[in-house]
Amino acid sequence: MTIDMSQFYEVFFDEAEELLAEAERLLLGINIDDPDIEELNAIFRAAHSIKGGAATFGFMDMTEITHVLENLLDKIRKSELALTAEHVDAFLAAKDVLKMMVDGHRLATEVDQDQVADVKMQLNALSDKSGDKSVLVLSVPVAATPAPVTTPVMAEPVAAAPVAATPPAPLNEPLAALDENGLRHFSIEFAEVSEKDVANLQEELGLLGTVDSAKHSNGRYLFTLSTDSTPADIISICSFVVDTDSLVIRNMQTAEAPVVATPLVEAPVAAASAANAPASTLANTHGKVEIHEEVGYGLFAMPGEDNVEEGYGFFAPFTPHPDAVVTQLIGDDTPAATPVEAVETTAAATPVVSTEKVNLGRRETDKPPAGTETTSIRVGIEKVDQLINLVGELVITQAMIEQRSSTLDPVLYEKLINSISLLTRNTRDLQESVMSIRMMPMDFVFSRFPRMVRDLAGKLNKKVEFVTVGATTELDKGLIERIVDPLTHLVRNSVDHGIETPAQRKAAGKDEQGKLTLAASHKGGSIVIEVTDDGAGLNREKLLAKAAKNGLPVSENMTDTEVYALIFAPGFSTAEVVTDVSGRGVGMDVVKRNITAMGGTVEIRSALGYGTTISIALPLTLAILDGMSVSLGENTYVVPLNLIVETMQPRMEDIKTVTNEGLMVHVRGEYLPIIPLYALFKQDTEITHPTEGVLVIIEAEGKKSALFVDTLVGQQQVVIKSLETNFKKIQGVSGATIMGDGSVALILDIPAVIKMGSSNKTQGALQ
Amino acid sequence: MSITAERNSTERNNADNASNSGEYLTFVLGDESYGLEILKVQEIRGYDAVTKIANTPDFIKGVVNLRGLIVPIVDLRIKFNLGKVVYDEFTVVIILNLHGRVVGIVVDGVSDVMNLQQSQVRAVPDIVASIDTKYITGLATVEDKMFILVEIEQLMNSEEMALIDSVAVH
Repeated sequence: MTIDMSQFYEVFFDEAEELLAEAERLLLGINIDDPDIEELNAIFRAAHSIKGGAATFGFMDMTEITHVLENLLDKIRKSELALTAEHVDAFLAAKDVLKMMVDGHRLATEVDQDQVADVKMQLNALSDKSGDKSVLVLSVPVAATPAPVTTPVMAEPVAAAPVAATPPAPLNEPLAALDENGLRHFSIEFAEVSEKDVANLQEELGLLGTVDSAKHSNGRYLFTLSTDSTPADIISICSFVVDTDSLVIRNMQTAEAPVVATPLVEAPVAAASAANAPASTLANTHGKVEIHEEVGYGLFAMPGEDNVEEGYGFFAPFTPHPDAVVTQLIGDDTPAATPVEAVETTAAATPVVSTEKVNLGRRETDKPPAGTETTSIRVGIEKVDQLINLVGELVITQAMIEQRSSTLDPVLYEKLINSISLLTRNTRDLQESVMSIRMMPMDFVFSRFPRMVRDLAGKLNKKVEFVTVGATTELDKGLIERIVDPLTHLVRNSVDHGIETPAQRKAAGKDEQGKLTLAASHKGGSIVIEVTDDGAGLNREKLLAKAAKNGLPVSENMTDTEVYALIFAPGFSTAEVVTDVSGRGVGMDVVKRNITAMGGTVEIRSALGYGTTISIALPLTLAILDGMSVSLGENTYVVPLNLIVETMQPRMEDIKTVTNEGLMVHVRGEYLPIIPLYALFKQDTEITHPTEGVLVIIEAEGKKSALFVDTLVGQQQVVIKSLETNFKKIQGVSGATIMGDGSVALILDIPAVIKMGSSNKTQGALQ
Repeated sequence: MSITAERNSTERNNADNASNSGEYLTFVLGDESYGLEILKVQEIRGYDAVTKIANTPDFIKGVVNLRGLIVPIVDLRIKFNLGKVVYDEFTVVIILNLHGRVVGIVVDGVSDVMNLQQSQVRAVPDIVASIDTKYITGLATVEDKMFILVEIEQLMNSEEMALIDSVAVH
């Protein structure tokens, strides 16, 4: 009867991460003195959605934190508590803990339980500070939550253990007491279903305990069940047969007769008040009436059901029972959330039934107006890639038609030619829009930095103003994900090393507050991302001295650019003190390596005393490569342009050999090995001597070689296609591309080619 | 009966039950006629210029662009040493779609689509052939002509075809 939930985990993780990022963004932007109620609601919604999801999937640790967080947020947004900077810090800390938990579940990374407990305590403490009486009442159970409830992961969302383990706060005990046989008694009511389903259900429920069934006069069915299972178990069973919206489960006191005994405190009052007063007025009152609102809400939420009134009549005569606890599912308009709530109220370790229900009741008003939520859709990346491929094909086909029609007589075929030019334009537009699907705004990356800068500046006692420019600039999703780490490193460096302390800045005659700018812009076919600080700048002398000490080859007459590039050398740091932020000298080389791997370049501009700019240039997309096509025999190969140093036609006297083998070329004082591509790829060609062909000087992983090919064809952007989709990996080839005429050209894997060239004995002798 | 033969015959029996009746595309290699399950065939096209790939066996002719897909082309005539290896406007390439992996095979010609009943299919005797008998599911007789039914997917995924990385062979 159980569904494998794990297939939905990824969706939840993705969503949780997005919600957390969104919450963080809102928290950072919030005006503490005069918070925008809409923003508070949005943060609350995020916390609430995560809680719902976490409970569904049984991540109880996350449910607990979000639950406490939600309580506090709820008070703030209801103006019961004034928002303070302390709150924001606590919320941010809670966000971090939640992120850690998401990672913990997703990647099995370690979750720091101390930190979790700390945050929880902090949130609870803040929650308790409130002086409002009714709030105090509500928050008691929160504070009463015993610490050990931070049980890391609960495998089953319906696990009842924590509930039982919680020392019961008499007024809020979530489950009915067990009777002398260790059984709980429930009444289960649901709307009309077929006889067969009823029989099935009865059978299923029979597995849990003893069942009695009765058909109610209004067409609803009523089961009574004596079981040691939790309501969540019952719900999960019933949900296969009956619509959970119409399902009502109640605990019954064992002492009383099964049906009549349903001890609902709120129901009669709720019935009365909900019927007589608009819910909005109830929302502004405190304490008990709020609880009523929830029940009232539940009833309001199913106006379409005929038997609502009868349901009232059914509840109305009951005498209130002080120990009563309700596990009630009344048609919430979001079916998915319904079981979630049920799970929370029954299985969540915190026995805060009343506050919980108030929150549930609020759901309706939390919803933003319809339409705002559906501005984006989730689509698998492979679908997008397929679309991009198809459009690429369309463009080639279109070019073919255009080429073939170019020989037609423009007078005779005027209409056809007009249509073709229209097709051309539409195809281009289509291609552009399709390519833009993969593009994401830089904001996606930038949005995580305000928080980091804020925390770092706080830690280092610096004042930093953080500015982003061009956050709407778009970049390929694949690149966006890979640029995060290098950028994080650069921003951290700028705050730590670049920007000085307020005292130093004052002494230097600068504003105490430093400025850190993160800017993105398009420049030609690439995107430029710049990290600029107005700090101390790079000290040329210090860099040179340090480099000399580290044994790097330096001289006084190096250009500034060359000197600045020294910081990318492994193990190079000029920081006098190694902090936990940065300064260990690992990192800049990694930054450089990552960016180079993406096909980008890094450049540093700096002025001593005025600041530093680190500029990263990246190609717009990973799917397109700037390449140089070279020909060999009748085939064409593509060499990635960023790995080409230069191309040359060697003179006879530049070609050298060792033992009449090991062909080399003498270029500007360097001897480079020649790798004849024809020999490496065993390809027929008439050009077998380097002086007849062209040498392409390539450099990868610090090694230079001269690739010997027939001729250069031209420079062009090519779309990278995988060979492995239908074939296998070929040594020395990183992929393939389709040329303008529809033929396939192989893209050379230069590092592999250099390796093959030095290991294989292909450096053929002079012939 | 040897162990190998026994294994082969069990395999064939399994195949018999599952798939031996059905529609087959028949093609010619040299003087022999072969058949493969038509559901594995994506399309049939002429032989285009292929891009040769270095350091691969000579029966792998290279790759072609099939509407944006890079598809490897295998010449079965070279692989099994059958027929004359000429490439002209009559050379036929059968494009196979083997669970999403697209591969082209060059054959001498495509003859027909046949509907075969299980009763028409005979087991393969133990013979020595360049196609391992484990890739032959049976022999079919139609109007005194023999058709060799090939389990093309297993053949194409086999190590000897060198079409996929050996680690991926299962």
